[in-house]
Amino acid sequence: MMRMEIALILVLVFVAFIYFGVGKRNTPLHKTFSALLLITPLHLAFDAATVYTVNHLETVPPFLNEILHRLFIGTMVLVVYLFYRYISILVNEETKKDCTFHFVSKIYLCLAELGAMLLPVHYAVTEKGNYSDGIHVSVCYISVAFYLLVCLWVLLKNRRQIDRKKKAAIGVALIIEGIVSILQAFNPTWLISGMGITLMTLAFYLTLENPDILRAELTEQKMSMLYLKSQVNPHFLYNTLDTIRIQAQLGGDKTTADLLMRLSDFFRLSIKTDKQMTMLEEETELSDAYMELMCFRYPNLKYNCDIDPDLSDVLVPNFILQPIIENSLLHGLKNKGYRGEVTVSAKKTNQNSIEIQVADTGSGFKQGVKNKIDEMLINCDKHKANIDSIGILNVQKRIKLLCGKEFGLSYTENTDGGVTAHILLPIVREEFE
Amino acid sequence: MRKLKVLLVDDEIMIREGFKCLFDWESHGCEVVGEASDGMEALAQIDTLLPDIVIMDINIPIMNGLKVIEISRTKHPEIAYVIVSGYDDFSYCKKALQLHISDYILKPVNYEEFGSCIDNLKISMYESKTIKNSDLDEGEERVISSIMRYMQEHLSEEISLSVLGEVFHLNPQYISQLFKNEIGVGFLAYLTNIRIEKAKKLLLSTSLSVTEIAEHTGYGDYRVFTKVFKKTEGITPSQFRREFLDSRI
Repeated sequence: MMRMEIALILVLVFVAFIYFGVGKRNTPLHKTFSALLLITPLHLAFDAATVYTVNHLETVPPFLNEILHRLFIGTMVLVVYLFYRYISILVNEETKKDCTFHFVSKIYLCLAELGAMLLPVHYAVTEKGNYSDGIHVSVCYISVAFYLLVCLWVLLKNRRQIDRKKKAAIGVALIIEGIVSILQAFNPTWLISGMGITLMTLAFYLTLENPDILRAELTEQKMSMLYLKSQVNPHFLYNTLDTIRIQAQLGGDKTTADLLMRLSDFFRLSIKTDKQMTMLEEETELSDAYMELMCFRYPNLKYNCDIDPDLSDVLVPNFILQPIIENSLLHGLKNKGYRGEVTVSAKKTNQNSIEIQVADTGSGFKQGVKNKIDEMLINCDKHKANIDSIGILNVQKRIKLLCGKEFGLSYTENTDGGVTAHILLPIVREEFE
Repeated sequence: MRKLKVLLVDDEIMIREGFKCLFDWESHGCEVVGEASDGMEALAQIDTLLPDIVIMDINIPIMNGLKVIEISRTKHPEIAYVIVSGYDDFSYCKKALQLHISDYILKPVNYEEFGSCIDNLKISMYESKTIKNSDLDEGEERVISSIMRYMQEHLSEEISLSVLGEVFHLNPQYISQLFKNEIGVGFLAYLTNIRIEKAKKLLLSTSLSVTEIAEHTGYGDYRVFTKVFKKTEGITPSQFRREFLDSRI
């Protein structure tokens, strides 16, 4: 039987090797799955060790056997708990509300771990082979039953809101683990608990955590970035602009020279497509250049930018601010003959997140448009972009993809006219060694 | 002080014209003595004109700017080089600084702000000269050296001509003149230079926040510090830290 455990460990180590080698976002879901991939092989190793020691009771020292059994049951409970966590995060992401039992499940985890460490271990000796039984092993069965039932309940309760593929993955995983556990309960000498856990991990890996899917998500985002950019060779464009700028200044036309300087700033900053994340100050530099040019074209347009200086090095998705400002101009201020103000500000909302606001004094939303935009931004992954919404939809999708589902873009109406865009982002900074 | 000889190297005539006409070389004690548009021409001009300063574009035909510097450096170690590079080849700048090149500027060049670059050059030229001379006339401490040492040691405090006047019992006007005559730059230009140099060191060698570094270098307000830094270095302090620390990985 030990041979099976070793094969399972090899399979999981291989899976972990591929999984950790793939670029992916740092979401709670992926973090939980990473933890699973680390704990599960460890658990299987204890499993393999106990399979050996329990069948060599005469030669293995009793305390070693006992410790291994406690670690085996202890990690088993932890693995099942992680499965529950994984499924609950998955369900919460789908339903966008918290509908699970974090508190109860954590209390239960503590109790079960205490039981695994303290309750007496007992071994049954039979002709077909030895195994541990009694109250200590029952901790494990009760835990599996407890978490499986909670998952099943969460799944059934929210079955309408969950994507079919995810529902299938969760369902299959639960059924496999249920069947294996029941078989193990009725045939204690089979020692197949490790199989159930491995199959469950594989069920999620093959459907939801598959490297191709993770990679495809990132590629899709890169493609839509490129779509936003000009097809012209940008270096040619801004080198030429610079030559014209110098010519203008040599001719004594300082205003033209300054405007061209800003225009080449704008191009230089907007061709940095290779980076997914950029510092907030680079984003505001880009919008400064853009707005200075727009304000020159429309003298009644005013622009203010007030960013808390300590936030200037926060990393934000590249190229999110300018499309929002452009949107404010095209759909708000244009209707008022470009008379009015755009104000960009950023502040901490708490220790871990910031909000960037783009407020305009434009014409505001037309009847019914606000609801349509709210709906589009909330269900952004189900919408296909059209000409009017490509900018904000692209921004929203990239924020959700790069920062997590809890962050993103939303709009409110100002009391004195115009609208305010709110961009909620996590505080992430570059780390230096 | 004698005028410093400047050689301009860039393959685009418009950029050379810009340098020649849009920057006031005269008031900075310099004169443009020649131009070159490719690597070979640059090497030849350096040999015949023996300039004090070479303004060098990296991306030039036949032989790139860094190669030119490497070759002529062995023959003329005293020449100061200023690298000009596009934003997209910033990695060259980092390499250039590792080659101990005096300064770099990023395109598009803002000619009004190019003066601080020349001031920095003069300061580093003066400093390397005093290091050489200090072996010769040791013991003979000059006023300017002790003023400069005082400034280095009190960087985080408020330093002005009147403060220095009180400390050294000298007329502030006289001290201002001293800077002009000895180093060739104004007092404020020198102060900004040593503050920014200190800030650059702190940005790369410590994990202090930019706000803390602003305080250590005598800038009470973070915003002022960032503005001055951006003006002299072309990028903000956090960008500077990121660009240079990235290159080590």
